[in-house]
Amino acid sequence: MDIASSLAIVTLAALIHASFQLSVSVLTLLSGHAIGAKHSQARIMRLTFGFVSGAGVMTLLGLSFISLILLHLFGNEAPEFVWAIACGLLIGVGLAVWFFYYRREKGTSLWIPRSFARHLSDRSKATKSGAEAFSLGLTSVISEILFIGAPMLISALVLIELPGHWQLVGIAIYAVVSLLTLFSVWVLIGSGHRLSSIQKWREDNKGFLQFASGGALAILGFFVYVCKILSDASGALL
Amino acid sequence: MPAETTVIIKRKGQRPAEAFSKEKLHQSVVAATLSARAPEGQADNIAYAVTNYVLEWLESRPEVTSHDIRLVATRHLRAHHPDAAYLYEQHRTTL
Repeated sequence: MDIASSLAIVTLAALIHASFQLSVSVLTLLSGHAIGAKHSQARIMRLTFGFVSGAGVMTLLGLSFISLILLHLFGNEAPEFVWAIACGLLIGVGLAVWFFYYRREKGTSLWIPRSFARHLSDRSKATKSGAEAFSLGLTSVISEILFIGAPMLISALVLIELPGHWQLVGIAIYAVVSLLTLFSVWVLIGSGHRLSSIQKWREDNKGFLQFASGGALAILGFFVYVCKILSDASGALL
Repeated sequence: MPAETTVIIKRKGQRPAEAFSKEKLHQSVVAATLSARAPEGQADNIAYAVTNYVLEWLESRPEVTSHDIRLVATRHLRAHHPDAAYLYEQHRTTL
């Protein structure tokens, strides 16, 4: 796979990561509590920036960690069965997202254990300092691992095949693109937008977001399968 | 019957029941209204009106759930500040 195709796959995987909503929900709750607690705008921005930074650092660490494990296990080229497993995982998670991502009720409740959702919600209320917001950002990325694990795995498989400096570029692209939605919400909050309009938009478009995330996961899985496994297999036959 | 003696059943009985607290309701409505970027004075006035409405509603009820209180408060808050009511209603269903 050439460098441009590899980076395109990493970018699409990061866009899929960005479309997942758990971190956005926690950020919305965190800013709502901060505004409701009469904090100054500067403090609200510090808290929310701490959260976004935490999510960014955990994304960087997560992708680097998965890449390092794959590099240790398989060297610069993972065997085809690993690619096949990753593609199957992408398609499987894509279908699961179509059916189970949001709960069938009002609002933007996700299909995560309720006790876990309550814990994150309570932590967002209890967060008072930038350091706590940073750790909440770290935690929220870990909480999303069920959904973002597959795009991270495929990105790591693509990245380990690249030359060293392109690996760094790929990781940076993934981290920046995956943070786009969080950055957008952070900018909206900073520019004085009402949280209710952000939340209303999320609720009104949750069906589309769910369809787009699930569909993009399945398409990415199918594309990588054709690109990597079928083309290698047909090349071997010829 | 004074509303302060009403027992609040929390989270379908998963958490211990507690007596109704006027201040707690007031604070939660103020927080939701401020989150909707309303000025502090307006938030306080709205919270006062909503709390009084809920107190009246509680007078004939010895036991209610926290969900009931949220529904009643939201209904009244909507008349004063629809955005705040939306945030208040959505609080448990955002995540």
